Amino acid sequence: MKRSYLGVLLLCVVLFLNIICTQKAVNAYYFEHYRTVIFYAVCNAMLFPIALWIYQRERDVQ
Amino acid sequence: MPQEKELGQGQGHQREHLQEHQQGHKRDNNHSPFQEDNYTHNIRKNDERKLDRRGFMKTLVGAAGVFAVSTLPWGTLAARELTGLKKKAYPKLKIADIRSLQVGDAVEFAYPGEHDSALLIRLGDNEYKAYQNACTHLKCPVFWSKEQDEMVCPCHHGIFDARTGIPTAGPPKRPLPEVLLKQESGAIYAIGVKRYEA
Repeated sequence: MKRSYLGVLLLCVVLFLNIICTQKAVNAYYFEHYRTVIFYAVCNAMLFPIALWIYQRERDVQ
Repeated sequence: MPQEKELGQGQGHQREHLQEHQQGHKRDNNHSPFQEDNYTHNIRKNDERKLDRRGFMKTLVGAAGVFAVSTLPWGTLAARELTGLKKKAYPKLKIADIRSLQVGDAVEFAYPGEHDSALLIRLGDNEYKAYQNACTHLKCPVFWSKEQDEMVCPCHHGIFDARTGIPTAGPPKRPLPEVLLKQESGAIYAIGVKRYEA
């Protein structure tokens, strides 16, 4: 049984980016940089389909 | 002697196994050696595969979803602020008569609420600036220092530029919120609070 941990690593990276985006968005809100808030919120929302795609790709390979 | 006897018994068992294998008898997998080419015979699914690789990946995808949803309210609030749907209405308040205010003088007042302390400074003949004077560091009151030509927070020596409200020294990072002014029939009125651009 050959295992690939690429998906796990990529998803960890996605989650790391999620944490960064969330922190930046909340911080920008308190500094009233509303455009930045929207940018990071959209980034966070976009990361979810990416994560889903990585997961499905890894699952279908097996 | 008993050792030899046990050894003899063990050898007998092995011989039986071999015979069974040779005869093609099926045995359960809980014995070694076993014949089946099966790599998962020793995994008790209920315990050991609770969080395998795929389960872990599913968790990560779920977490990404939670993060995505959790920032949506912030994005919505920011969008509302940007579109100006939540513009605040401020009352008009007379602060002081121009005659009673010399150049370099400052007047303390409260705006927009009675507990929101603010400061009006006459910087020039026709130059007036007003700020909410709670220091953006830890809310200490900020005072106008005519001699130094700057606004000083005495708590931690925070200094603000009186012309822009931007902090120039000390711990505060954000500028003071500026109060919008209007000059009308020899008096200065406060008409709103500017959102500070941090």
